[in-house]
Amino acid sequence: MGLEIEVVDRGEWRILTARGEVDLNSSPDLRNAVLAALKGKGPVGVDLSEASYMDSSGVATLVEGLKSASGRKQTFSLIQPSRAVMKVLELARLDSLFDIRDSVETE
Amino acid sequence: MRKQDFALEIASDPSLLGVVRNLVRSYLLDAGFTSERVDELVLGVDEACTNAIRHGCKGLPDDTFRVVFRSVDGWMEIQLEDSGEPAPPEAFARDDAPAPANADDLRPGGLGLHLIHEVFDAVEFCPGAIEGNCVTMKLRLPKKN
Repeated sequence: MGLEIEVVDRGEWRILTARGEVDLNSSPDLRNAVLAALKGKGPVGVDLSEASYMDSSGVATLVEGLKSASGRKQTFSLIQPSRAVMKVLELARLDSLFDIRDSVETE
Repeated sequence: MRKQDFALEIASDPSLLGVVRNLVRSYLLDAGFTSERVDELVLGVDEACTNAIRHGCKGLPDDTFRVVFRSVDGWMEIQLEDSGEPAPPEAFARDDAPAPANADDLRPGGLGLHLIHEVFDAVEFCPGAIEGNCVTMKLRLPKKN
């Protein structure tokens, strides 16, 4: 249980990796990390391949990140969302809202 | 026919949600639901508990809410009771608005209730609740071989 967040810069991308469970308890940490990552000018990717659980508070965080990035014409992508994350996005009918990638191209 | 299989009285603390999810997962797997169905039902219960913590307990960490689990006539009922300001019954009604076309359309806060309605077979506002909110989430039990 719990959530671990790691941020690395890869080429022009800032990649935020969330490992573990995103719920009401942990989503504020994800929110802070997403908003901080977006302060840079480059594209931001959120690697959700190891997110074993996500609820609506996590989804709201991703939507907030997307809105914030879109306002600045900044790219905000989800990288390899886990089955759990895709399921909640599908139930919320938000799966087509996001740019979803297998990886980010770097030099 | 017993009134309940078990009941949880839980402090209004988000750090306890993981424990509740594990317990509910265990109970549902034992009832014979598929792993995929269990995942979405655990999400639904988590959303209901999250609503109770956020809205039902007036933000006080030493308040509690209650979750009662029972099986009756081929249905499982998960009933959640909190002591917050009673919401009007319409608050529990399903929002049939079309899916948001883009991020600007998304209403904050409504998503949890939408997910609850998506995963459970029936959702009812409990009549005659003395104080606070009470919602019963129902699901048809799988047929056991």
